Amino acid sequence: MTEIAANTKAANSNRLSHRFDKLTIEWLFNPFRFIAGFKALLLGLAIILISVFVGSFSNTHFDGVLDVHTGAAAPMWLFLAEGIINWICMAVPLIFFGLIVSRSSFRIIDVIGTQALARWPYLIAAVVMLPDANQRVIVYIMSKLTQTAPAAAIGSIDVLIFGFAMFVTVLMIIWMVALMYRAYAVSCNIKGAGAVITFIVSLIGAEVLSKFAILSLLG
Amino acid sequence: MKVLPAICPSCNSQLKVKSLICERCQTEIQGQYELPTLARLSTDDQAFILEFIKASGSLKKMAGLLRLSYPTVRNRLDEIIERVELAEESKQDDKEEKL
Repeated sequence: MTEIAANTKAANSNRLSHRFDKLTIEWLFNPFRFIAGFKALLLGLAIILISVFVGSFSNTHFDGVLDVHTGAAAPMWLFLAEGIINWICMAVPLIFFGLIVSRSSFRIIDVIGTQALARWPYLIAAVVMLPDANQRVIVYIMSKLTQTAPAAAIGSIDVLIFGFAMFVTVLMIIWMVALMYRAYAVSCNIKGAGAVITFIVSLIGAEVLSKFAILSLLG
Repeated sequence: MKVLPAICPSCNSQLKVKSLICERCQTEIQGQYELPTLARLSTDDQAFILEFIKASGSLKKMAGLLRLSYPTVRNRLDEIIERVELAEESKQDDKEEKL
């Protein structure tokens, strides 16, 4: 009897942990199953604002839909404009294709809200770019490339930190693209090849458009 | 509780009702009746439709009840609409075949 009870308990706990794993994976890779619309928009905008604010400490610019670059010091409004431009440049073509391809009557607030929330991995990218070691390595690499004397010596710890930051940033870019695709598929109810093709076209168009928009801001 | 089967477990064709019985007087009616469109859907789909009616057809309310986002619930409804349309088409095909 106790054996049966123990087995049942183990089976229940297995089922619970499996459910928990599934939920965690869904929250990580498809949070839009649970959150969309105005809630996603508010949360997404807050995350964009925090990301650009954190990024501004290390002069990390999100100067394109997929770009993360450490560059020159800039006024806060430029960091903010980059964040907003990236989000809008991605959302607009997706709405356009959604209207053409989707057979469902979707809400625009879901597209713009989920696209804002999909940018949350860039908050992690902004955090890993914070250590000064990243700037030291970038200055060193730039001085080597431009054949000028190194501005400051770099240590192996600096290189390690920089390597880690680059690795995490690439992962965050991939994660963000996956989230942007899921956001598009869920909010416009599009599946299959049509979804993939229109998403890739939108992504390329948005990257070009955002680059132009940000460059035009710089004068 | 037993679930009304709609699809033949042997050949995957649409099942039909052959007999109905009154539990009180044991009167049995034999014939060949079509299953209603909604009965052809899966139990999950039927449960969703029932909840949808109870929520006065509000997707927002459904999203709150199911703790899912609005587009997820709307996508689920779209899938059910597609299945209903397919079920109606196959019903129409059956009628045309008989004629």
